[in-house]
Amino acid sequence: METGFRLLLLTVAFLSLQGCVVRNWIHHRAEVRAERQAAKEDAARAEQDDTDAAPPRVVDPDVERRKINVPKIKSSNVEIGLDYGALSVEDFGTNQVYGITAAYHITEDFFFQGEYGRSKAGRTSFETLAGNIQLLTPDERHFTYYNLSLGYNFLPGEAFLGRGIAMPSAFYWLGGIGSTKFAGDERFTVNFGAGYRVLPSDWIAVHITVQDRVFKSDLLGVSKLTNNIEARIGTTIYF
Amino acid sequence: MSSAREYLQVFVTAPYLELHTGPGRGYPVFSVVPRDESVDVLFRRTDWFKVRTERGVEGWASQQDMQRVVLANGAPFTFPLGDRAGYTSHRWEMGMFAGDYGGATLVSGYSAFYFNSQLAAELSLGEFLGKFSNGTVGDLGLTHIIAPEWRLTPFLMIGTGFVHLTPKATLVQPAQRTEQTAYVGGGVRYYLTRRFFIRAEYKAHEVFTKRNANEQVDEWKLGFAFFF
Repeated sequence: METGFRLLLLTVAFLSLQGCVVRNWIHHRAEVRAERQAAKEDAARAEQDDTDAAPPRVVDPDVERRKINVPKIKSSNVEIGLDYGALSVEDFGTNQVYGITAAYHITEDFFFQGEYGRSKAGRTSFETLAGNIQLLTPDERHFTYYNLSLGYNFLPGEAFLGRGIAMPSAFYWLGGIGSTKFAGDERFTVNFGAGYRVLPSDWIAVHITVQDRVFKSDLLGVSKLTNNIEARIGTTIYF
Repeated sequence: MSSAREYLQVFVTAPYLELHTGPGRGYPVFSVVPRDESVDVLFRRTDWFKVRTERGVEGWASQQDMQRVVLANGAPFTFPLGDRAGYTSHRWEMGMFAGDYGGATLVSGYSAFYFNSQLAAELSLGEFLGKFSNGTVGDLGLTHIIAPEWRLTPFLMIGTGFVHLTPKATLVQPAQRTEQTAYVGGGVRYYLTRRFFIRAEYKAHEVFTKRNANEQVDEWKLGFAFFF
């Protein structure tokens, strides 16, 4: 009995000791945390004091800062112009073509171009040989196209005119999609080609372009891809 | 030199500023402007600036070099660069597409004006060339970019427009017709490089016909675009 009682007392004493240790430990942790917090605050305050403290002044500056109004710098990326050339409509001979082009220069390498052109197809050799037969009415012979193309400048250089004049120039590739209206129908058209541009001044360019306009046609009985090659010379103005 | 300048004057802070004969890296350097001298900025073409030196020499300076000049008060000369930041937030964009409009081949172009980096008003015009009919479509609407800072980001569209149909017929001559349309759509855009990105999109058109039932037309297209 006594042994059991002693055991119980010992157990209680042991447990209370343990409790003290745990309590002390918790208390200690809290103290450490508070200390750290205080140190952090001190550091922050010190840093703030540093930034607030004015450096010792020798002379009071009395210089007004110049105010500059930055004018808007003009951008000149748009190019619009007219052109004239020859268009070979497959099976229908070569005829003159008039066009309008508008381009937007995106980077020094790439530009985006829209083209619109009109021409009138001639007679096929069959019509010429057979005499009085007409495959198309005069109205249907109108050949109208528009295209959206992407251009890539390559081989930049200078063109020299005599000893004193140098003009920047470049070759470019063109490729794009569009539509062609011919023989009373409109057709999806793919175009590709190349051109040469020379700039006599910053605002004017002279272009020579060769482009192939390809579309599917079943006008002469069988469905086939027709190649319509066009060569043009044009002048554009930069805006 | 007169005090009232028509052009912006900037000062060279790098050891020298190279002047090219044309607006491109392939054009040769023909002159340099030494440090602390100034140039007048005449105009800009793509990523190149036409400048005039104090001695009256005119040439082209690149965008990279112009980032290292300063204004008369020492502040840096800043201008919009055609880079990833510009892709996230810009005012204008334009592009061209090829695709499919209710089974017909579609060619179209668009232009958009951004009110902020997420919301834009968009105008698109296209032409479709089909087996049975050709036509023109035009749309005006709003586009919402979901996460403009992502390289690949989805967007949503809603708006109204028109469709003009020219049927191809051999026996009877059906009348051409113009109908009003409304659309909802969505797509993704992906930044490529410089000022370019790819755009792929789908629009579901509701065509309000004068007959008893309206028509639904699906439009799918893929294209490339640029911002400025």
